[in-house]
Amino acid sequence: MIDAVVNLLRFAAPVGLAATGETVGQKAGVINIGLEGMMLVSSYAGVVASQSSGSPWFGLLVAVMASVVLAVVQGFFTISLQADQVVAGTAINLFALGLTGTLYRARFGASGQLLSVPKIPRLGPGFDALPLFWIASLVVVSWALYRTKWGLALRASGEFPPAVEAAGYSPNALRWQAVLIGGLFAGLAGAHLALGISGSFAENMTVGRGFVALAMVTFGRWKPVWVFAASLLIGYADSLQFELQALNIGLPPQFFIALPYALALAVLVFVGKGTAVPAALGQPYRRQR
Amino acid sequence: MKRQLGFILAAVLFVAGCGPTSPSSSSPDSAKKNGDFKVALLTPGPVSDAGWSALAYRGLQAIEKELGAEVNNQQASDAQIRDAMRSYAQKGYNLVIGHGYEYNAPGIEVAKDFPNTVFVSSSGGETAKNAGAFRFALEQGFYLAGLTAGSMTKSGTVAMIGGPDVPSIASTFKAFRAGATAAKPGIKVIESYTGSNDDIAKANQATLAAIGQGADFVIHQANAAAQGVFDACKEKGVMAFGANFDQNSAAPDTVLASAVIVADPAFVDLAKQVKAGTYTGHVETYDMAKGAIDFVWNPKLADKVPSDVKAKVEAAMADIKSGKLAVPMDKF
Repeated sequence: MIDAVVNLLRFAAPVGLAATGETVGQKAGVINIGLEGMMLVSSYAGVVASQSSGSPWFGLLVAVMASVVLAVVQGFFTISLQADQVVAGTAINLFALGLTGTLYRARFGASGQLLSVPKIPRLGPGFDALPLFWIASLVVVSWALYRTKWGLALRASGEFPPAVEAAGYSPNALRWQAVLIGGLFAGLAGAHLALGISGSFAENMTVGRGFVALAMVTFGRWKPVWVFAASLLIGYADSLQFELQALNIGLPPQFFIALPYALALAVLVFVGKGTAVPAALGQPYRRQR
Repeated sequence: MKRQLGFILAAVLFVAGCGPTSPSSSSPDSAKKNGDFKVALLTPGPVSDAGWSALAYRGLQAIEKELGAEVNNQQASDAQIRDAMRSYAQKGYNLVIGHGYEYNAPGIEVAKDFPNTVFVSSSGGETAKNAGAFRFALEQGFYLAGLTAGSMTKSGTVAMIGGPDVPSIASTFKAFRAGATAAKPGIKVIESYTGSNDDIAKANQATLAAIGQGADFVIHQANAAAQGVFDACKEKGVMAFGANFDQNSAAPDTVLASAVIVADPAFVDLAKQVKAGTYTGHVETYDMAKGAIDFVWNPKLADKVPSDVKAKVEAAMADIKSGKLAVPMDKF
């Protein structure tokens, strides 16, 4: 039983961590399509750093730094230059896939290797560090967003930025903070995927988890607790499908592989109504003069 | 103005990021060789997958080295296949190899328009004057792995973890199942797919689920995600088999043996036929008898294998080579 819970948290955490950070970003009005790319780059950076230093904790640090650097690029384009957020994010994804693939082949040979690098050690019986951080972050993020002045201003930056400006805050400064927090979480997500679970790297190893995380934010109605619950639910469906396949029921595997996504769609049919989406999401803010 | 600058910079990032999927991904120095004989390779996945696509890339490199050919490769699937084949043929490539059954039909179609180029796919059954297929009978290696697993299992349950559910993978799994059942009738064989060749975490998760159902021997067809399978086996203390390459050293205390494709000689052999102008469209099978498929024990775990199991596998191997034992192989 405990084993099942630990495993659920462990395998749901990459999507969950990324979705938690993305909730902060979207609350401030910035949608990060480049989440997938940031996770991938941090996975690669983490694996290389862990392998060359022998320390997975150093790998974790480098992974987060790599993701934050990409978050700075994203912030520069979408906040400072007011570029289209979807275009900038897509560019980051393509860039990340190309960059990690090229570096991987340059370092480990064009035909690749089955890498095995030092993994982040487990705390106690089966408990992983980053899933625990994920749970802790849920409390902190909820409190910061809904119980502090900073959180109020940040949420207003995603709803009606001129009001934030009028109240004496800078919406773009708040968006910058949100984007960097998103980058931090994407880095932790990529690090957990590569160093917490896999201990290895493969090209495109994130396989769409960044996009699933984006979907989880919508799924969770932009509320950290519900985003957490949504990530757990999809994570549960994912682990369930492997349990079902292992039971040899005889249904085609595509049925099981599609299960988490079918479930997400089904839930969206019921909870998808309403206007929880931040009103200024995706809109660059220009200072009023 | 600022907004435009943003778009331009985004476009620059876009172009810069398009690296390894473009045709230029093969080593740049390959273009320096003389252009008499040119060979192109199309793979379904990245050639860095340490598995199926990687072994074709190694084969291409062997062609470059042994025949002094000019080589190029790119990743192409679905609608890109015909385009890639045509553009290579237009550039005067003599041989275009598509590494998978899905390149067979497009090759036949494109071959009509380019009589001076030979199109060969790894597996697939159709042929034309200048198009055909060569098929690696990896099933034979998987059969021996199944035989080993079936003879040694204590729980009576073994597992196969695949990436996508495609005919080539399903066929090898059938052979593994046949081998396991031959050794232990009524054995439970779990067949589980993650849907991806790159998802290490899901390969890990699927393997843990299979071990949770009692599997004590696991074989994979997960290519780049194989380490996820080995890692789960290592964690739970069960045995694994390598596939495609000799992966015995990837997890030296866990991988008992590997079912291996020895691809280089087959690729060079094919290219030689094309270069000499003797190639005619046909389907050729590269199997154990030709030395193209092997089953390699991990020397580090040699003492874990009972001598009667070893003898049984050696005998089956000899029977496969002599043709006495026919391993099931799907046609696709």
